[in-house]
Order: sequence, then C-alpha cells, then structure tokens
Amino acid sequence: MVTTKASLMSQTQPTTMMDESIPTTQTTEVVHTPVATPSASDKAARLNAPTIIDINNVDFYYGQSKALHGINFPIKEKLVTAFIGPSGCGKSTLLRCLNRMNDLVDGTRIGAGSIKISGVDIYDPSVDVIELRKRVGMVFQKSNPFPKSIYENIVYGLRLQGINNKGRLDETVERSLRGAALWEEVRDRLHTSALGLSGGQQQRLCIARAIAVEPEIILMDEPCSALDPIATVKVEELIHQLKQDYTIVIVTHNMQQAGRCSDITAFFYMGRLIEIDATEKIFTNPTQKQTEDYISGRFG
Amino acid sequence: MAEPTQIRRVDQRPLKEAISTRGRSVIPGLTKDDVIKYFFGANAWISIVVLGLIMLSLYGQSIGLNPVDGFFGQNYRNLLIYRQAGLEFVDIIKKETSDLDQLSSYLSAARLEELKHLLAEGKKQGKTEDEAMVEANAALAAYDDYASKLGSQGNGLDGIVSNLGETVTATRDAIKNVEDRKAEKQLYLRSGKKDLADKVTYQEVDLVAATQPLKDALPLIHDANAKFSAGLVNFISQSPPVLDDAMKNHLAGFEGRVRALVVAIPAYQNQLETWDFNKPLPWYAGIIDFFFNTNWLTASQWQNYYGILPLLVGSTLISMVALAIAVPLGVGAGIYINQIATPWEQNIVKPAIEFISAIPSVVLGFFGVAVLGEFLRQLSRWGVLPPFSERLNIMTAGILLAFMAVPTIFTLTEDAINNVPRAFKEASYALGANRLQTIWRIILPASLSGVISAVLLGFGRVIGETMVVLLCAGNSISIPPLSKGLMILFQPVHTMTGIIAQELGEAENGSIEWRALFMVGLLLFIISLVINFLAQRVVHRFKISIG
Repeated sequence: MVTTKASLMSQTQPTTMMDESIPTTQTTEVVHTPVATPSASDKAARLNAPTIIDINNVDFYYGQSKALHGINFPIKEKLVTAFIGPSGCGKSTLLRCLNRMNDLVDGTRIGAGSIKISGVDIYDPSVDVIELRKRVGMVFQKSNPFPKSIYENIVYGLRLQGINNKGRLDETVERSLRGAALWEEVRDRLHTSALGLSGGQQQRLCIARAIAVEPEIILMDEPCSALDPIATVKVEELIHQLKQDYTIVIVTHNMQQAGRCSDITAFFYMGRLIEIDATEKIFTNPTQKQTEDYISGRFG
Repeated sequence: MAEPTQIRRVDQRPLKEAISTRGRSVIPGLTKDDVIKYFFGANAWISIVVLGLIMLSLYGQSIGLNPVDGFFGQNYRNLLIYRQAGLEFVDIIKKETSDLDQLSSYLSAARLEELKHLLAEGKKQGKTEDEAMVEANAALAAYDDYASKLGSQGNGLDGIVSNLGETVTATRDAIKNVEDRKAEKQLYLRSGKKDLADKVTYQEVDLVAATQPLKDALPLIHDANAKFSAGLVNFISQSPPVLDDAMKNHLAGFEGRVRALVVAIPAYQNQLETWDFNKPLPWYAGIIDFFFNTNWLTASQWQNYYGILPLLVGSTLISMVALAIAVPLGVGAGIYINQIATPWEQNIVKPAIEFISAIPSVVLGFFGVAVLGEFLRQLSRWGVLPPFSERLNIMTAGILLAFMAVPTIFTLTEDAINNVPRAFKEASYALGANRLQTIWRIILPASLSGVISAVLLGFGRVIGETMVVLLCAGNSISIPPLSKGLMILFQPVHTMTGIIAQELGEAENGSIEWRALFMVGLLLFIISLVINFLAQRVVHRFKISIG
C-alpha cells in the first residue's frame, strides 16, 4: 500500500509540487512582506522573491535507509518557510542538511542531488563547514543554552571567532537580546546562569545566541514544541520581526503555527515533498489530496 | 439489554474481601513484602556495619582503645627509654662524627669531579684513556694524601662512642627487661593467678647509677672535642696544592664547612653537659615523633624509629608520577573515544583499556622488575635519561601504577563526557565552533566535575596499590634527597602499603611495630576515605550543574 502511494507521489512531484509562478532564477528585488493580511499581489511578490537556498533532487540516507527522496525546491530570501508533515516525514532531516548538522550523525550521506546556498554547493569538499554554520544559524527543538551565564551564552559564537573586545561583546549582547525580545527581562542578570531562565526565555536566549553571530539564514527545528502557549506566542512574534533581516526556515508540528507565521509552506510525507506553495494557499486550497487530509487532521 | 460479559478473575473473591486483606504473613507479624524489604535492607546495611567494624579494628589495633597501650603510648615509652638509658646522649656525639663523615664525602665528591676534569684535559691533549688516568691520579696524589687524613680526626670521639654505646644499650636492655616483667606480672594479676605473679620478680634499674658513666665521661669528651676542633683547624691549614679554579672553589667550600663544624663543636659540648636523663618528655612526644620523624627503622640494634614521613613521601611521590602520566592519558583517551573516534575504533580501544584493569597487579610487578626497570636503565645508558643507580625506583613504580589507573580514569571520564547532553555539542557546532573548540569550551567544562572525580578515584586506586610498589619501588626507607632535583624521581623509596605487606607478617601481635603498621594502615584508610568523599562531593555538584 505504502509503496504504491509513494510511487504515485513521485510521479506527480515535478509538475504539481511547485507553483508555476515561482522562478528558480534569482532576481535582485528584495521583498519585505508585511505580516498582517495576505493579499493576492502580496502572494505573487512572495513567490517571486529571490532564491537563497536551492535544493536540487536531494536523496539522503541514514546508513542504508533512504530518508529523503528527490527533494527539489527553492527557499526564498527573507521569507519564513515552514516545513510541515507527520513525524518521520524527513522535514527535520532536510532542515539539518541545510547547515550540514547531519555530518555529526554517523553513517549519514547525501546520495544524490545538491543543496546550493547563494549558488554554492554546500556539500562540495571545498566548502568551509565552520563558516557555513556561522552563516546558517540554528535553533533546536529543545532549548539548549550552555551551562554558562546568559552573557557568555550570547558571546560564545564571537569568542570562537577570537573576538574578546568587551565593548563589542557588550554591544552584541544587547543587540541580540533586544532582537530576541529578551533584553528587558534579563538585562539585570546577564551574568547569572542561563539555566535559571524559564523554558520560553531559554528558547529566546538560544535565538539571541544564534543571531549574535549575524547569520543570514536561521533554521528552527520545532522551536516551540516544548513551550507553553504564552511563550509560543512570544517566539512567533519574534519570528515575524526577524524576517525583516533573516531568511527563516522553520520545522513545525503545529499547523496553526505554520499558518500564523510562515509565508511559504512545504508539506512532506514519507521522505518526499508533496506540495509547496504560499501558506494561505496550502491551508485553504491545497492541490494534493494528502496535503488536504493532513491539514484537516485526517491523518498525521 | 446486552448480556453482561463474563469476567474471569484469577482471584475470585468479591471486591470488598479482596482489598481488605493485606498480604498473608509468612513469619508471624511480617508480610511477604516486609520480609523482602528486611532481607535486602539488611544486605545493604551489612556493608555499613562492616565498614564500621574495619574502622573500629584499625583504631583498636593502632591508637588503641586504651591509648596508653596503643601505638602512641608505646612510642612514648620507646622515646622515654631512649632518653633514660642515655642513647640520646651518645647520639649527640654520633652527630659530630657523622658531620665529619659528610665532610669526607664532600671531599670525595670533589675528587671525582676533578678527576673527570683532568681526564677531559688529558684527552684534549691527545692522550689515551689509560695514560690520562695514570697522569690524573698522579696529579691528585697530594689531594688524596690530604683527604685520607680527615677521617682520623674523629678517632677520639669514635672511641668514646663505642665505649659508651655498650653501656647505654645494656641499660636500655635492662629497662626493657624490667618493663617486660612488669607486663607479665600485670597479666598474671589480671587473670587472677596471684601465685604466679608473685614469682615474677624484678629490680628497678637505678637510672642515676646507670647514667653515671656518661657524666663521668664528660671531661674525656671535652678533651676529645678540643682535640677534634684543633685537629680540624690544623687540617685545613695543610691544604694540598691547588690544580685549577674548580679545585680552588671546592677547597674553599670545604674550608667553610669545616669552620662551621668547628664553631658548632662547643654547642655540642654544651648539649652534652646539660643533658639530663630525667628531663620529662611532653605527653604528645609519641604523636609528634610518628608524624615528623624522618626515620622508619625496625629491628635496629640501637634504636627503633616509627616515623611515617619517608613512607608518606614515597607513596605521595609515586602517586604524583602515576597521576602525571595517567591523567593526560586517561582523560585524553576518554575524550578521543567519546568525541572523535569512529565506532570501529571505539569497539577496539574501549574493551582494550578496560581489560588492563583485569591484569593482576603482581603480573604487572613482574613486568616492572623484568622489563620496565631494565628499559629505564637502558634509556639512561643511551643518554636519553640522566644516569641513576637503582633500576627499581619511583619512576618504575609510578609508570606501572599509571598503567593501572588509566582504566579507572578513562572509564569515568568517558562516562562523564557521555553525560554531557548532545544538545550542547550540537549548539556549539551550529554556532560555528570546530571540534577542538567544542571539546575545550563546552564538553570539558560541562564534564569537569566528572573528570575531577575520575582523577580523584584514580588517585585512590594508585595510593592503595600494594603489590606493584612492593616489587618495583626499590623499598629503601628514606626520604630521597631534594638536592637531586628532578632526579629525585629515580630514587628508590618505600611506601605505606608496601611496608605493611612487608613487615606485618614478622611483627609480634600487639608489639609497638605491629601497632605502628596499623597506624600506617589507619592513615591510608583515612586518605582513601577523604579522596572518595571528595570525589562524591564533586560528582554531586556535577549532577546539579547539568540540571
């Protein structure tokens, strides 16, 4: 049963998964998308935004088992792209391919295809992985501040680069914490342990830590799954602000969240991309039946 | 209405009855649960009881439940007899002659250096080794003549020492004899055999009379000291012809030392004159002596000493060497295996390191004696290491103990690093850290307390090890001279564990030697206890910090 379904999907992939209007070539036009009310022209502008990450027919393996099957789509600059799909569909795996975090897992490999960021194949042997990860920051599912002070957590990335100038570090700490909407809450206790913060604060601290190194892309792997509703709202508001300056890719299990804070949504199932389109299109009028079933809660 | 489903319970009793009866009692008053609880509880508490018993027996055998009969009390009497019999008096004179011996060895050391120098000179002039040797010895003939006369300066004192030595040892034996008799009598009285006790007779030693020969010898000693002093002054006035600058320096140094001794002689004389066999010993003399005496000497004809220092120093130095080697190896291997190694390497290296701890320590001892000691000496022959005389020394034992401590340190370090959440590592990499930065800035700090406790437990393993040190440490009971610098690590020593294993079999139950060995054991036990306590405290902190 499952295999038939999968083969069906792969046949339909090239034509239906992508809206015809999304060009894969880059344009110089930068689009700042207002968050509030999506309109038809806004949607077109979004889909026409320049591509920053180009995923080309990627196959990915954990040892012998194939986790991603011919994934092929672009990620647009300064937009929020959400990956949705049931557990085990490969969305987190794909996300972790984008800054090569999967290198840390033994026995993983890209079997075919390429991922290009700004035109550079990031799996090329000549790529500086360290530099790549500085430019493609990541926020994890479970908040993971280091067992250090709040201050030291934020400046960790800078210290790695040999920056120890106090003025510069102080400035970065304030800017990053303000950027993560955490400054007012922690300004008086920057030098206390980060582990003393609440779960939501810890996650925002991790976001602050990620933006302290001034990346261009931020990957978020289910950033709110361990947070209460209020903390979740704060992080979502933060995502809205951040997309002014950063390209954000967010993996989420929460469909309302994808609907609220993403511009483009990609739906994955069983290691395949089923559909990608402007978020409101996916949620109101998906092309694929599986997408519709998932979104309406019929499986997943 | 549907038929109610037939439910077939194992226990057919109605609900009310079933829940209102507690488990049937196996032993009157105890349910099955209680019996199980007490059985396992007892097992757990047995270890506590055994620990307490060990501590109690160690304490009883060493310090003693009655401290007067215990080690410190016996050592006090040991020291008291040393004074009362006049051994202390004779030792003052002996100190003078041993000062003279040191001067002699200074002269011979200077000669050796001079000889080497002359040989090198001769070689430069193109002479064969034999020719150079003959010439150098000829050049040093006057010096040898000079040096050989030094020893005879102390002849007068030596004679007095040997005469008085016999007297004081006889007094000592008499006092000890009386003590033994007293003890015997006490024993009989305590067990109610009054008739037997009455048969034990003794006569108290008259200490005044016994030490009178010492007082009588004072004028003689005074004359001998005067002669000694004059002889030394005369001796340095006849110094041999100076061959070169080095020799000039040596002779000048020698003269300085001789003059210092000459100045000190009146002080010695004064000590002898004011010496009093009746001068009381402070009550803590036995304790101070144990902790600060630099001699551990048993079965001596003259005087036995029970000073922990040489053994403590030996154990400590060996442990330091072992840790200095084992900590980098163990911690490094732990980091490598956990963070860097491929699964293939992990599967090979981990069991191999852990297997080391299965090697019996006596086998490692064989290896140390037969291979490692020889190898170290070979290294020194090849010039890799400076020369040293003993094949079995601190380094030999330390290296072997390091080998034994590596598995402990490795395993615990690896565990500690394994406990560092993977999320820390990922977060660090995601911020653009490389492997070294991640290990150094995140993983090591996060696992630091675990690593420290690993090191402490490794230390505990090392300081308690017996067989290897007994076989490989050289077993020389002395504090290695600090003047050797780093070569101190190639000196033979004895250890706390080694001395117990070596001497306990021959010590008479309850004797001072027996109790002294138990004192060493008690100290060892306390050290291990403190280390383990610290390790546990550190681990506790670690758990909190990870949250």
